[in-house]
Amino acid sequence: MFSLFIENIKISVSSVLSNMTRSLLTALGVVIGILAVTLMGTLISGLDQSFEKSMEFLGKDVLYIRKFQWFGNKDWWEIRNRPNIQTKHSETIRNKSQYAKYVAPVAEWWTSVKKGDENVSGVRVSGTTEEFAMITIAEVDKGRFFSRAENRSGARVAIIGKDISDALFQDKNSLGERIRIGSYNFRVIGEMEKQGKFLGMFSLDNQVIIPIGAHQRLFSRRGWTGINVKVDEADLDNATEELTALMRQVRRLRPSDEDNFAINRQDPFKEQYAMIKIAIGGTGLFITILSLIVGGIGIANIMFVSVKERTKEIGTRKALGATSKMILFQFLMESIIICLFGGLIGLGLAYGGSLIINSFFPSEMPFGLALAALGLSMIVGIVSGLAPSYKAAKLNPIDALRYE
Amino acid sequence: MSLIFLKNIYKIYNVGGEEVRALDGVDLTIKENEYLAIMGPSGSGKSTLMNMVGCLDTPSSGDYEFEGEKVHNMDDNQLASIRNRKIGFVFQTFNLLPKATAQHNVEIPLVYANIKREKRLKIASDALASVGLDDRMHHKPNELSGGQRQRVAIARALVNNPSLILADEPTGNLDSKSGQEIMNIFDTLHQNGNTIVLVTHEDSIASHANRTIRLFDGKIIEDVTK
Repeated sequence: MFSLFIENIKISVSSVLSNMTRSLLTALGVVIGILAVTLMGTLISGLDQSFEKSMEFLGKDVLYIRKFQWFGNKDWWEIRNRPNIQTKHSETIRNKSQYAKYVAPVAEWWTSVKKGDENVSGVRVSGTTEEFAMITIAEVDKGRFFSRAENRSGARVAIIGKDISDALFQDKNSLGERIRIGSYNFRVIGEMEKQGKFLGMFSLDNQVIIPIGAHQRLFSRRGWTGINVKVDEADLDNATEELTALMRQVRRLRPSDEDNFAINRQDPFKEQYAMIKIAIGGTGLFITILSLIVGGIGIANIMFVSVKERTKEIGTRKALGATSKMILFQFLMESIIICLFGGLIGLGLAYGGSLIINSFFPSEMPFGLALAALGLSMIVGIVSGLAPSYKAAKLNPIDALRYE
Repeated sequence: MSLIFLKNIYKIYNVGGEEVRALDGVDLTIKENEYLAIMGPSGSGKSTLMNMVGCLDTPSSGDYEFEGEKVHNMDDNQLASIRNRKIGFVFQTFNLLPKATAQHNVEIPLVYANIKREKRLKIASDALASVGLDDRMHHKPNELSGGQRQRVAIARALVNNPSLILADEPTGNLDSKSGQEIMNIFDTLHQNGNTIVLVTHEDSIASHANRTIRLFDGKIIEDVTK
């Protein structure tokens, strides 16, 4: 039986190759289907990786006191009229909160950073305290973070992100060097490790971190501000409640007033992301199923044509001793080969596509998915080839031999 | 010993509510190494008889034994197996696979007999050599003349060492010279001990055989042995 199996594969391959254009057109539906499913998988796997990294940056145990809710449904003018978060409240929170482990005020401003002729514009300048180092997941790669004393004295020291060190110093040592942030001189005391992009949108490495005192003195206070609070992961809900109460107290809100601040955390990102994932997955799946069904119908159709064209061959083969089962397998194999052929082309295109996706955010084509895609194209081949092959197998040899 | 034993064979079709007796009580015994020609006008039942003898068809009623095996109540798979092992077919239109080489065409019955590739190639080339086509082994049918194509078909009919060679108008699509060559091959095969059944309407072809039967309206009306 094995040599017959090999023979069937040979017959099918040569039949597919000798009708190259027809096979290609026939397999197009499968190509698109497989392309859609693998690209979708690649996209989701890439998004997953990128999302996980971004969520690490936010940290699962950090609460962000901000003016805006990250995923709110409030009217923007209502939110816009809220007062800014005052960084001095971080002291109050540190003193009164029983859940807060570390508290760091953050003020941000965007300006250019220069070193000699090298210039990077639109750099995020974050002013914060030494506790920031305890809250953020990112490590200082070279040098050190600023100390409590440096923070208190408003020393002009900076920790620079990877983008900045790459642009201004390339491979040279940056520690101890002077840079200009806006129009002020700062001394580089540390470099942060590479963090990549946040959700593929903006680079987390395009930043400098300086003591908040210096930040508030030198840069406009109109940049946005917030307070980052690290708590125990188990206390997240309690801490949120406590911080809400503390902020209401600080802001002297009456019980009837609504909160005019927001306590953010990473969870809503996850919810939003899950929805995006479902949307991408659903669309991909829909396209895949649709094109596989249409492709399958096309293959069934062309297989019927092939059976018709080769009626005499079928008659001859039967006269020479082929059983119905052997004929069934021959045509089924042909249909499977067309589909596998389409599947492989689809995978090839998807691989090219995954390289393109990869240039936007790191991603790779999941190997298991590629295998599953080939399996899927085989199933399409079997399903759509079944009826034509059955028809071929059931042909009466006498009628088939007489067919012109 | 008789190779083929047909007794009281009927093949009845129902065409538009009307009963057509393609074979109407045929008795026929063919012995080993017989060279038989089946003749008759079209519609006489000659093709039906050939299909019956070739195990492509089963009778509506009657007994058919091939080398003692009861063919009349075999299923499709058993018929396929007996065709594969015991009968070599030669068709009027050659029926070669157009995209396959001569060697591959000859190999096909061996594929269905599940014989290993190396052995298949050897048997196929030997069979092609025996019909004088050793130098055309790797040619496709469209690169061969009509006579050569029919010789490939004969080689294909021989590869399984069949008990019976069944030829349906083997010279019908050939010029007289090629036809003569083909008939010489059949004569040789007969001399080597093969049993041959020819279906033809040409007396000159039938004259090669040493026994001729004539059919008319589904009945054997003449059975002459030289």
